[in-house]
Amino acid sequence: MRHLRAINQKAARVERTVAAPPPDAAPAGDVVALQQGSAPPQQPEGPHIPLGCSLVFQPGWEADRNGGTAGLCQPVERDLFDCHRGCFWPAHVPDQLNHTPDWTGKCAAAQKDWRNIDLIFP
Amino acid sequence: MPQPRLKLLGCVPLAALLAAAGAAAQPAETNRPGIPIDDETVRQACGSCHQPDDEGRLSRISFRRTTPEGWQQTIRRMVTLNGVTLTPETARNVVRHLANNLGLAPAEALDAAWEAERRSDDQPYDDADVEETCTQCHSMGRVISQRRTGEEWSLLMAMHRGYYPFTDFQAFRRGDPGDGKPQAVDRAVAHLSERFPFETAAWSAWSATMRPPRLGGAWLLRGHAPGRGAVYGQVTITPLAGAEDEFTTEATYTYARTGRQVERTGRAIVYTGFQWRGRSIPGDPGEDELREVMFVERDRRTMRGRWFTGGYDETGIDVTLERLAGGPAVAGAHPPSIQAGAAATVRVHGRNLAAAAESADTFPDLGPGVSVLAVTGTTGDWLDVHVRVDPDAATGARDLVLDQTAATGALTVYDDVDRIEVTPRAGMARVGGVRFPKQFQQFEARAWHNGPDGEPATEDDLDLGMVDARWSIEEYAVTFGDDDIRYVGAIEPGGRFIPAVDGPNVERSGSRNNVGDVWVVATWPPDAGDGGGLRGRAHLLVTVPLYLRWDPTAVEQP
Repeated sequence: MRHLRAINQKAARVERTVAAPPPDAAPAGDVVALQQGSAPPQQPEGPHIPLGCSLVFQPGWEADRNGGTAGLCQPVERDLFDCHRGCFWPAHVPDQLNHTPDWTGKCAAAQKDWRNIDLIFP
Repeated sequence: MPQPRLKLLGCVPLAALLAAAGAAAQPAETNRPGIPIDDETVRQACGSCHQPDDEGRLSRISFRRTTPEGWQQTIRRMVTLNGVTLTPETARNVVRHLANNLGLAPAEALDAAWEAERRSDDQPYDDADVEETCTQCHSMGRVISQRRTGEEWSLLMAMHRGYYPFTDFQAFRRGDPGDGKPQAVDRAVAHLSERFPFETAAWSAWSATMRPPRLGGAWLLRGHAPGRGAVYGQVTITPLAGAEDEFTTEATYTYARTGRQVERTGRAIVYTGFQWRGRSIPGDPGEDELREVMFVERDRRTMRGRWFTGGYDETGIDVTLERLAGGPAVAGAHPPSIQAGAAATVRVHGRNLAAAAESADTFPDLGPGVSVLAVTGTTGDWLDVHVRVDPDAATGARDLVLDQTAATGALTVYDDVDRIEVTPRAGMARVGGVRFPKQFQQFEARAWHNGPDGEPATEDDLDLGMVDARWSIEEYAVTFGDDDIRYVGAIEPGGRFIPAVDGPNVERSGSRNNVGDVWVVATWPPDAGDGGGLRGRAHLLVTVPLYLRWDPTAVEQP
């Protein structure tokens, strides 16, 4: 890194963060996505996906490729109906194709009406 | 999500076609494996589509073996998607017949016990390619709890592709179609056909000796409830009149750390001669109804498994039941560890312990360096012994010996606590409480001694047991300005994480849900000042709900 220098704002933020982690990232060295060299002390192995009986797809429903949530589509309600209509997450979201053609019947816009959708036991 | 999406016109007829084609009668081939089904209930319930061949084998059904949960899932799919109409009683009888006659042998079922026990454990599979193909949508537990003929594994893949057309894109056919190499689905079929074949020595041996187990009698209960500690007690099992594989239960047990006593009554059915599936109701309204999944060992003297509850089955007790023979039986001791040079009262839990209090000759033996000075009380279910540990006593676990029984490693002698560990090391919770259930995550702090070599995380380390700790959460920073800690929820003094509510949070950037990842930190002793004491921590993922639940929930209801 001695011979490299930041030439855009993001790279400059990386340099600043590595040099001085934000105060809420205690203890120092926990800027995991930006870590250098070996892992910080006491850091557990990343979660194995899926965790037992939980279900996942990559990039996953529960976790993103790094085992975290920063890369997930958020809020989940924004994408819920597209997943339902496209049958994209058949183990997480009821599929319109076969199991629940009427799942969104009481819910015109998931971000507003998400309280009206049901948990499905196929 | 940023994946491309396709129009899916014409998929329903394909699914119907596959379902119909898969179920049609097949010509009898005497060299094909397959188990004839002569049960009239199954034949009537399934036979209109799954017609028998000349040898009484029903298409598809006779060429697959699985757990009661696996059969129940199939029956539910037939009801949901294929228009089957069954009364609950008929469905239960079909599950029972299929699980008993086309089930798994004990060795086969135990490999996938964590799936039936609903454990959220780390369960890696040894073939990463196959694992990736299957776990795009569901756990490997669902796969490894099945045995099928090669043709059946192939038809199963066809069923996936018919019902879920995206399967090809997501998992099955990810390779270049022009490179001539087998696609992921082809590799999976080849692997599964070899690894999990329909015909196995384990099943032929077990099915030859299988019968309903005679489990009636008294059983010693030994368990561990994460975050609440050891439980000790007794389960009395009574055969249900008129049914050789159904039982009623009465359980009484005590949480060793708090002395809290719990009584339960329950009912259970045993599938395939060894798979206990039960449900129990507590006498105390402060406790939950629990589902019971246990496996009876072949000697019929031990059962192991998990009793659990929760919106996602996340709260439970790991249990072992051992048949009581009538004499004294030791389950365990509390506290589980004592410092060298200290004196303490240790409560020995078990059954029929009163005689041990009669004289110094019958006192429990706690091994070298631990003197039992007096028995200070007993009810027969427990025995309080006053002990003194020699200041020079060797560090290490002691077996507790009483009369002709022993509890291995019941009491550990140590000189100092070297570190605190938080279990599980990676936990998961789901937001909920408004429309969908919360998934809680219970953490536990355990004290450890580094062992004679003084090095942490080596084989000689000594587990000193669960300790009371001060719990907190800290940011796990993965992005600039990461502020998950403000939204994900809170941790209770007992180490249980309570996730925040579901739904978009307008206070968050982009109306994100209350999801995130944080460190869960335990500090010991709890009154240690800032920067003092020992710290242990675990990673916690707080994530989104599931909007459908495939998991079967009722195979234990006879």
